[in-house]
Amino acid sequence: MSDEWEPKIVGFLCNWCCYAGADMAGTSRMHYPANIRVIRVMCSSRINAEMIIKAFQTGADAVFIGGCHPGDCHYVDGNYRTKKRIDLLKRLIEHIGIEPERLRLEWISAAEGEEFAKTMKELRDDIKKLGPSPLREIAREAI
Amino acid sequence: MEDEVRKRIAEMLDSGEVTAVIALKDVLGMTTPCVFKKGDDLSSLRLSPHYPLATLAMKMHKMDPEYKIAILCRGCDERALLEMAKRNQIDMDKLSIIGIACDEETAKDCNCSVPYPSCEDLIGEKLEELELGDAFEDYKRMSTAEKLEFWKKQFEKCNKCYGCRNICQMCFCKDCELENELWLKKGRLPPDFPVYHLIRAFHLAGKCVGCGECESACPAGIPLMTINRLLRDDMKELFDYVVGNTEEVNPLYTKEEF
Ligand code: SF4
Ligand code: SF4
Ligand code: FES
Repeated sequence: MSDEWEPKIVGFLCNWCCYAGADMAGTSRMHYPANIRVIRVMCSSRINAEMIIKAFQTGADAVFIGGCHPGDCHYVDGNYRTKKRIDLLKRLIEHIGIEPERLRLEWISAAEGEEFAKTMKELRDDIKKLGPSPLREIAREAI
Repeated sequence: MEDEVRKRIAEMLDSGEVTAVIALKDVLGMTTPCVFKKGDDLSSLRLSPHYPLATLAMKMHKMDPEYKIAILCRGCDERALLEMAKRNQIDMDKLSIIGIACDEETAKDCNCSVPYPSCEDLIGEKLEELELGDAFEDYKRMSTAEKLEFWKKQFEKCNKCYGCRNICQMCFCKDCELENELWLKKGRLPPDFPVYHLIRAFHLAGKCVGCGECESACPAGIPLMTINRLLRDDMKELFDYVVGNTEEVNPLYTKEEF
């Protein structure tokens, strides 16, 4: 084991797609980096700005959101709302000095275990290049 | 300009078109919001400094929806009223508007591109072709790390007085997320960086009318309008949404794809 720094990634995964995709990656024994801490939600649109901001404040190096493909949301149009919300939030965090690359939204279906594993690798590599979140040093303990 | 407004107010009250007019007046050398009724002495009327009068109209409307009110209304006030109406906080049909245009200095100060309400019988000169320039040129040149340093210093000054929220015309939720202990623990000062200010900014996206009251209310002198204006530009760029002057719903609340 190396002592190399590994990013901490908070992942909000939609129960109907990305969470099942992650499950599939696991059950098919695909290898992907263990940087992600998964929180299961019933729809990607359940994720509000507060949750993401709080994750960054408490020291997350990146926040990942996995939702159903456009048109596939189980609540019809939740993911369209998610997309707009995340696009704007990326701008907002950039304005105050957090790299927008630290916030990522992807559409991953329940059948795309491989896609999930690939995305996790990419994300981890990208964040490793970026380095630890600048908020880490000022992050205070959650609650 | 003041005399013209006085005349208009007197007409409206005398003819019975409205029962009350929300405006500003001088009390012992201070300008304060007030309500004029029929027969009141209008000599103390003032037009500036600007003050978020739309909140008063909303509150009065909620107390008695049938009450006919007129309101002194700048561009930002009108935007606030329109956004309130979209959210069922006020009924524009019960409201008369006394539109006043802002002068160049005020408009530039507020970085306001529409410093006048849309009504026809506007009082004052309508500044349509105002050159605002890019107020954020210097800011945009900063690197990400410099921006973070800048805001750390700024937000550190916050004493969580809630002044920015309390003065805001567009803050009328019954339960405020800024008081939710899930995000912000009570009694922690300064509030955890950058939670307080980002939640507020995000909630006001597509809602903030750019009146600048939050920044003037802030005892710590935090440049809150910088973020509000950056988000205003983002809403335009990303969703082609402009606050106040359309019938459109905030795209963040709609299901359409962009
Ligand atoms: S956020 Fe500030 S500028 Fe925007 S509407 Fe509220 S008080 Fe006015
Ligand atoms: S008005 Fe200023 S000091 Fe008060 S809570 Fe708002 S940002 Fe903080
Ligand atoms: S149910 Fe998966 S994004 Fe809405």
